[in-house]
Amino acid sequence: MDTVKFLWVVPFLPLAGAFLNLILGKRLSRQTVHFIAVAAVAASFFTALYLVVGPLREAYGVWKHDGRQGAFGLDEHLWTWIQAGDLKLDLAFRLDPLSSVMILIVTFCSTLIHIYSTGYMEHEPRYGAYFGYLNLFTGAMLILVLGSNMPVMFIGWEGVGLCSFLLIGFWFENEAYATAGRKAFVVNRIGDFAFLLGMFLLWWATHGVDGGKSLDFVMLRDVATAHPDIYEHKFWFDERLAAAAGILLFIGAAGKSAQLPLYVWLPDAMAGPTPVSALIHAATMVTAGVYMVARLSFLFASSTTAMAVVSIVGALTALTAAFMAFAQTDLKKVLAYSTVSQLGFMFVGVGTGNWSAGVFHLMTHAFFKAGLFLGAGSVMHGMEGSGDIRIMGGLKKYMPITRITFLIYCLAIAGFPLTSGFFSKDEILAGAWAAHHDGWPAFLGKMLWVMLTVAALGTAFYMWRLYFLVFEGEYRGKAQVAHPHESPINMTGPLMVLAFLALVAGFIGIPHVIHLSGTLGDIGHFLPEWVGLSTKPMEMHLSSGTTYALLGTASVVGLLGIGLAYALYGKGPSKIVDRFTAGAGKPLYEASKNKLWVDEGYDYAFVRPFRALAKGTFEIVDRFIIDTVLVNGAGFVMSLFSRVSRWIQNGQVQRYLVGVVFGAALIFWWTSRNDHPSFSYKAVPGGIEFRAEPGHGLRSGAAVRWDFDGDGQPDPGETAPVVIKRPGDVASRVTLFVVDPVWGETDKDGKPKHLARVTRRVKLPVVEAPATPAAATAGGVP
Amino acid sequence: MTARVLTAILAVLFVVLAFDAGAAHAQGAVAPVDAKIGPAPDFDPPRSATTAGKTVSKRDSVASPAPGAPTNAAAKRTKGGMAFAFWGFAALTVLGSLFVITRRNLITAVMGMVGTFFALAALYMLLYAHFLAIIQMLVYAGAIMVLFVFVIMILNKPEDEPFALSGRVGKVLAGLAMAYLVFRIGSVLIDVPAHVTMAQNAAPARTAAGDDWGSTAAVGMNLFNDYLFPFEAVSLTLLIAVVGAIAIARPLKDDEPAAEAATPGGH
Amino acid sequence: MPNLSTVFSEVGYAHFLVLGAVLFAIGVGGVLLRRNALIIMMSIELMLNAGNLTILTFARMHGDLGGHSFAMIVMAVAAAEVAVGLAIVVAIFRGRRHVDVDRMNLLKH
Repeated sequence: MDTVKFLWVVPFLPLAGAFLNLILGKRLSRQTVHFIAVAAVAASFFTALYLVVGPLREAYGVWKHDGRQGAFGLDEHLWTWIQAGDLKLDLAFRLDPLSSVMILIVTFCSTLIHIYSTGYMEHEPRYGAYFGYLNLFTGAMLILVLGSNMPVMFIGWEGVGLCSFLLIGFWFENEAYATAGRKAFVVNRIGDFAFLLGMFLLWWATHGVDGGKSLDFVMLRDVATAHPDIYEHKFWFDERLAAAAGILLFIGAAGKSAQLPLYVWLPDAMAGPTPVSALIHAATMVTAGVYMVARLSFLFASSTTAMAVVSIVGALTALTAAFMAFAQTDLKKVLAYSTVSQLGFMFVGVGTGNWSAGVFHLMTHAFFKAGLFLGAGSVMHGMEGSGDIRIMGGLKKYMPITRITFLIYCLAIAGFPLTSGFFSKDEILAGAWAAHHDGWPAFLGKMLWVMLTVAALGTAFYMWRLYFLVFEGEYRGKAQVAHPHESPINMTGPLMVLAFLALVAGFIGIPHVIHLSGTLGDIGHFLPEWVGLSTKPMEMHLSSGTTYALLGTASVVGLLGIGLAYALYGKGPSKIVDRFTAGAGKPLYEASKNKLWVDEGYDYAFVRPFRALAKGTFEIVDRFIIDTVLVNGAGFVMSLFSRVSRWIQNGQVQRYLVGVVFGAALIFWWTSRNDHPSFSYKAVPGGIEFRAEPGHGLRSGAAVRWDFDGDGQPDPGETAPVVIKRPGDVASRVTLFVVDPVWGETDKDGKPKHLARVTRRVKLPVVEAPATPAAATAGGVP
Repeated sequence: MTARVLTAILAVLFVVLAFDAGAAHAQGAVAPVDAKIGPAPDFDPPRSATTAGKTVSKRDSVASPAPGAPTNAAAKRTKGGMAFAFWGFAALTVLGSLFVITRRNLITAVMGMVGTFFALAALYMLLYAHFLAIIQMLVYAGAIMVLFVFVIMILNKPEDEPFALSGRVGKVLAGLAMAYLVFRIGSVLIDVPAHVTMAQNAAPARTAAGDDWGSTAAVGMNLFNDYLFPFEAVSLTLLIAVVGAIAIARPLKDDEPAAEAATPGGH
Repeated sequence: MPNLSTVFSEVGYAHFLVLGAVLFAIGVGGVLLRRNALIIMMSIELMLNAGNLTILTFARMHGDLGGHSFAMIVMAVAAAEVAVGLAIVVAIFRGRRHVDVDRMNLLKH
């Protein structure tokens, strides 16, 4: 794994631009603000382009020449971020085929959207903040993509979540918009929590294995692919751990990439400015989940269960969202559901192990979906902010460029033959058809294919319904209210660039059955092979006949959808539609229009119980426990205590003197209470040790005399407080005399007088030299 | 009426005792030790420079009688006179202090206090603290008493209820505690052997500078050599006390018209 | 147990010390029992004098003239205390027309 310099510049430039614009944005002129923002992102794009075309390509040549040893990619280690115990996390970036594709998409789309925003947002008062957030969004996404281990990826993961909150709720003065921002954030948090759990699980499983100390992707991949047989895979606990971690991480991805059941935030995210929608849908946010699954291909490849979950959820999402898009009347809502649906396609792609197809569709989708949103923005710009497609119609004569580009995007997303969407969608469909992994039921791949084909039909239909309603037919709005007009060049420019790419980008991923050779082959099969370098290859068998059949089916389906839309909406909404929605199809129409009542269901299932729980908690914990018991209780205890203490501390000096005198007497009693002298003895190696305890208090420090021979008189010379005697020298009764420290040993007549004397019967322990410790404890009791 | 009678009795007692004490003192100073009673006291020849004998072994050495020892009879008289003076003045002290805390009339209380202080001055003399005895009379019996009397004259309000009865339980407890303390001290001190007590009547030696122990010169040397800083500090304390007393006792000024006059007229 | 007659006839330091203790106890009793601030101050004076008596006894006992200096300082401090204390008493009396410590309880509530 070679290293590369200046990779950090790619995320750093947008972050620096964000910093400048957020801190100084209010003081800078509009020109300066958008110059900084656009320049930062554009410079980031060109840096990325240079790094990919220059160092990465060079390294690829070397790697290929050396026989394709190990993982291919370039590392940049900035510094060690966290080091604790086993854990060692580096702030490090990695440029490999997968991330190179991603950073090019992200920076390119971002640049176009930034340029577009200069026109779309020209009347925005918080211009600096807008571009600051936009830059931050791009920078966070680049960190997510380039991070070489999971925690660094998580920085970006959280960063895009934050920025989506900031930008969706950008016009927070409107309560509904602010709510939409919060909703995006909360739903994302649910996914992030699962992501964290999955990350922890991976850490728990991998730390210490093969020297694994970080959550580095290459390390994880090497560890995971050490044993190829999935079902006897020690490392994954026979696949169970991989399944658990994969599903948890996929829940995280579902939050970020708007899959069932966490997709609900994305349609509401239309509250933000339209370029933000474009950014979220095309480049910076929703692709994160797909990217993450592709990045962790080795993990999902280790668990066919997790792959099945991913692909089934993806297919269901694709179907459901397509269905919901049928009856939407808001321009951007239709696009939003189409994004959810297309993301479902991508997840089926990565879920069937067809990683490059998922990423391929991610790329083409980025181009045409960014274009669609920007086109929608252009339409709304011309319609003075309204996005209601019921009042549009016949706009092609007012905004020709927008109409042409929009037409191209619709062709691409419908899968019109030879457009970019055609190739990428076909790759996914073919992969689904061919998918048969260990443990999968035989019909699963076919079932996925059927679901996706139906979804693709739906996609073609609702997209072209949208196109016909907006641009064809007659203008249905009130002419005196809105004066539709074409947008300025800084808005139409990006539209044209994206339209071009939406047309031709598919040619870097032509199906393998179409054999090409030479340079043409290098270009035509570029993407699958390139992305395949960073993902775990999965086997896929598909005869060329089947492939052509599938290609044909896809073309037919796309054309069918377009034709259906033309029939029903080609010249404005036809009567058949009205009859259908009013008659037999009414339940279906209502279900689609109300988005299958998912939001209402969530409201009943989660939001209301949570509110009730919160209210209950508020009443019990806050009102009762905190307010009553703790706060008032503390006050009550203090007042009780002070009532008692006031009796003592009452401001009357006399009472204080009572305390003083009483305390003095207490000290006097305490210090003199234990002044009864005594002594103890125990066996020690040299004999018996006698230790005088003359008592403390007033009489401490007294001199002592000993009587060891039992005659009742002090023995001469025995004055030490601690004496060791041989057992033979000690009588059965030993007496300790305490000498008065002041008045001495005799009274005035010379008679012996001692402060105190204590006599104890000494039970002599049997001492054999040296005495055992057990014997040493025998004494001490009279 | 009782108070006056008591006061008179106390006064007479004081005069009598003062004479007797003076006599006892004079003799005690000459004859410190009764050689016949026992060995010389080992612990307490009050000399500044000696290591006061505390070791037990020193007790065995028999000190030779001091030259010019008085006769046995003289010693006995001394002993009796000393005891008489002590008990008399002690009784005066206690009586006077009881006067202080029991009399309802403040003037009587102050007179009791003065009696206590005089008796204390006499006791100081028994302890060979002549200078302090005089100071006691000047400061306490003179200055402080006068101060009290002045204040009493200012206040001059007889009490309705002289004894504070609130918090009785605590006061009883404190009284018991006090009694316990006195009892403990007394019970320790009562153990003091008699021969020790006898030796205590010896006159202390002169100081190193040759002054009589407890005389003005001796105390002055000590005060200005060893305790100069405390002396200066206490002088400062007195100064502050004087200023503080004036500041506190000065009548509060009413609103001065000067303050209003000082306000500039703006119109 | 010493002979009681000896206790009476042979006066030593112990007697002075006990006298000091008794005097101190009486002073404490005065402070505890009386309500008049003046009497309380006199009782405090009694206690100070009891202390002085003890100090002088010990000075005699140890032959250290420092006790005399110390007693003098105590007297000076007592004088200062009386001066300030009586000033406070006068100030209080001026405001409240009494010097009853039982009724000086403004800080209590």
